[in-house]
Amino acid sequence: MDKSLLSDVPQVAIWIARVVVIFGGLVTTAALMSLAERKVSAWMQYRYGPNRVGPFGLLQPLADGLKFLFKEELIPAGANKLLFRLAPAMAAIPSMMTIAVIPIGTLVIDGDTIPLSIAPGVDLGIMYMLALGGLAVYGAILGGWASNSKYSLMGGLRASAQMISYELSLILSILVAVVLSGSLDLTKIVEAQSHGFWNVFTPFGFVAFVLFTIASFAETNRHPFDFAECEPELVGGFHTEYSAMRFALFFLGEYCAMTVMACLNVTLFLGGPSLPFLENTPWWLGIPVFLLKAAFFLFLFIWVRWTLPRFRFDQLMRLGWKVALPIALANLLVAGAWVAFTTKGG
Amino acid sequence: MTNILFYVLAIVALLGAAGVVLAKSPMGSVVSLLGTFFALAVIYLLAGFQFLAGAQILVYAGAILVLFLFVIMLLNLGAMGSKFELSFAPLQSTRARIAGCIALALALVGLVAAQRASFAAVPERDASAPAIDSMEGLALELFGRYSLPFQATSLLLLVTMVGVIALAKRQRSGDEPAKGEERP
Repeated sequence: MDKSLLSDVPQVAIWIARVVVIFGGLVTTAALMSLAERKVSAWMQYRYGPNRVGPFGLLQPLADGLKFLFKEELIPAGANKLLFRLAPAMAAIPSMMTIAVIPIGTLVIDGDTIPLSIAPGVDLGIMYMLALGGLAVYGAILGGWASNSKYSLMGGLRASAQMISYELSLILSILVAVVLSGSLDLTKIVEAQSHGFWNVFTPFGFVAFVLFTIASFAETNRHPFDFAECEPELVGGFHTEYSAMRFALFFLGEYCAMTVMACLNVTLFLGGPSLPFLENTPWWLGIPVFLLKAAFFLFLFIWVRWTLPRFRFDQLMRLGWKVALPIALANLLVAGAWVAFTTKGG
Repeated sequence: MTNILFYVLAIVALLGAAGVVLAKSPMGSVVSLLGTFFALAVIYLLAGFQFLAGAQILVYAGAILVLFLFVIMLLNLGAMGSKFELSFAPLQSTRARIAGCIALALALVGLVAAQRASFAAVPERDASAPAIDSMEGLALELFGRYSLPFQATSLLLLVTMVGVIALAKRQRSGDEPAKGEERP
């Protein structure tokens, strides 16, 4: 961007540019994640992984996408056509929309500050994220039900039970970050941590961070909690009957949800685009720092998947209700008490 | 613009509500209910109540309906059919008619109350106080002026929860109580 031009650029153009950059970035990340998953798993299992399409197999996601587009689409007999067609979109769209409130950093061009976020400073940023994030599960539930297949139905059923169980721990651990930073606005949460003291450095912040990370695995249906898919038991889970682009949409939704969860984790507990123990992080360092932190969590998703075996469903439920939930509740209580007693005039 | 949007959303909400009653399969009812909840949330947004809209989606659409779906999928409902169909049979029973009359009467009472409230003089709000639709304003009202009703409500929910668990335990002893008594 030309420095002298920025004052002449209409505001709308900057808005559109922000949307295109962030949304494009999210979808590209999701596509690259499908490659990264295969590459990392290959690396961990001493294989090569995809390396035929483009240098290092970098064009593999593109090839996959084209293939999905040209495949024939099947709708099983007796499936509920309306819901069957709607479900993949219901899985993908909410996950993509949640990126809007994440503050990735700021660009300073010729003295002008441009927040790199689609909707910076939304008063109820976290509420928006949770409300939309909670809707992503409908794709799995309704898709599983509409497929008219027992495996799909079981997958959808598990997705709903799992989501209800872990949503509570997830929200309670997010609330700890909210209490520590004093706002529901993600931009303000980042500001509160921008002087080098991240939320994760407090004891309750650390507990909440661990709980959030665990719950985010369950919320995104990832290993070791991927019971909605669970190949050995349910063939392919809720998307058993899906083919072609609708199948790909479920995957896109899952990878987008993972990306957003990684970004949210960084924003809530790891200071967003700031470095630890530094009074001020220069703006040009902020964006790479944020992306690196988010990339680490994306790697963690893959790392855990190819390292740990899958839980049993009752173990998942026990962990959710009897371990994670009480700890999260007690943790929130302690954090709230600490903030209440240390804040002046509180 | 806002008015047109409101009427469109109101029609969607009403159609969804009718769908809940008339859908042949329970799944169709739940999907209709989802549409109603969304339309209501957007109406709240139009009125400027962001938090209420968020809570509507988060609690009702995101948690309670998921629970409904969970229960419906556990029930054995037979074949589902490849399309959603409407059935007007529920309208024919006497019970449904009585229930409809009661609901209509309640709706009228609500309408009259809303009408009177909108004509009653609205006290001037302190300009320095945060607006009621902001997070801060809502919290101040909820935990300040209305803190006793708020706590009474939570007590009521607790009593309901304990009651439901007790009833479920008594009827099917030895069985696990149904999952999801937790209020999300």
